[in-house]
Amino acid sequence: MAKSRIQGIDIKGVISAVPSRMFDNLKDASGFTEDEVRKVVGMAGVKSRRMAGESVCSSDLCQAAAEALLDKIGWERDSVDALIMVTQSPDYLLPSTACLLQTKLGLPDTCAAFDVGLGCSGYPYGLWLGALMISGGGIKRALLLHGETPARFADESDRSVSLLFGDAGSATALEMGAPEGADPWSFVLHTDGSGYEDLIIRGGGFRERFPKDPRKYCVEMNGANIFNFSIKRVPTVIQDTLELAGLKKEDVDYYILHQSNQFIMRHLTKKLGIPEAKVPLTLGDYGNTGGPSIPLTITQGGLDRPTGRPLTLMLVGYGVGLSWGSALVRLAPEAALGQVEFDNRC
Amino acid sequence: MAAEISSSEALAWVAEVFEVPVEKIRPETRRDEIEAWDSLGILTLMARLDEDYHILLTEEEIQQLQSVGDILNFLRKRGLLRDDQ
Repeated sequence: MAKSRIQGIDIKGVISAVPSRMFDNLKDASGFTEDEVRKVVGMAGVKSRRMAGESVCSSDLCQAAAEALLDKIGWERDSVDALIMVTQSPDYLLPSTACLLQTKLGLPDTCAAFDVGLGCSGYPYGLWLGALMISGGGIKRALLLHGETPARFADESDRSVSLLFGDAGSATALEMGAPEGADPWSFVLHTDGSGYEDLIIRGGGFRERFPKDPRKYCVEMNGANIFNFSIKRVPTVIQDTLELAGLKKEDVDYYILHQSNQFIMRHLTKKLGIPEAKVPLTLGDYGNTGGPSIPLTITQGGLDRPTGRPLTLMLVGYGVGLSWGSALVRLAPEAALGQVEFDNRC
Repeated sequence: MAAEISSSEALAWVAEVFEVPVEKIRPETRRDEIEAWDSLGILTLMARLDEDYHILLTEEEIQQLQSVGDILNFLRKRGLLRDDQ
């Protein structure tokens, strides 16, 4: 069972990055009737989103986030020992986007850098990997980058996806240094590959490298199966994580869920019996940005951060794979949070 | 298991799910005659089945629901429908 408790890791900061170009679903969506748009917006909850466009990649957004973060927390570039880039929208099939970012960020060649090919579950998995690397010894400082440009692989004519997705990147700085007596972080991770076709881009990989049908380069989503998966798996993983950590659901300050769809999230919140105020929503302004929606919600979710007291956050990613996981972590009051914009207006 | 409901209560439930007056629907009413019964309406139906009856509707079952009567039969097969006298 993939359940772990890892001691002593600290989040020094989280910065999210979004393109400056905005798409207003109610004003700018041609190709659908006003009524259709209003219905989708009402159900999915996405009023506007940020769009990378053809020239901007996840790596660009993550680079912007990482530059801002390193400056904000005062980390020298050559003090970074590891870089993990979690993405399903890499710059190239080969090499790893993490290698590009190592050089673009001016990190030393003593830095271990690699990609992790996960989407919606990517942030809890990424935190787990970073925490393991630090607690295992040898890695003192790790940068976790998580970026996606799902708006770039949505079929514009498919109403179920084209108004839903937005693009975002993020950078999280991890280091040993939680105070004496701080609770360990808890992780519970899962996979069900039998649902691999429920969220899939069929073409462009090695099963079918050059499909004739251009729609095979766009994401296909089985909404009903994803809905069932979400409402079946998310409550259980939250319960399992609370048990692992020896906590009750009231002990968690915020449940930061992957911002899949407002309808699903409201249903989950009701099912879990937690107050809506503890489940911040950011998809109204940013859309479903895949896995980076979690760090984006940490920075933009309006979290109330009392001075002198850390927050207990339950981070839950669920989706493509099918893969899902949770991370129950501590966010110190002095951890730096923020967001930058990547200017792509022209 | 959730308590049984009568056919007329089930019809009222379906009407509420699809936000139509109950007088406008009968078991014979087809899916394409109900405006809100589209892909988004199906998600609403799935959520209400989960919330009210703790049932998960699969993709195959969704394909088979083509009329209000099909939904009532689905509830009947799950032992949730008490037929009216």
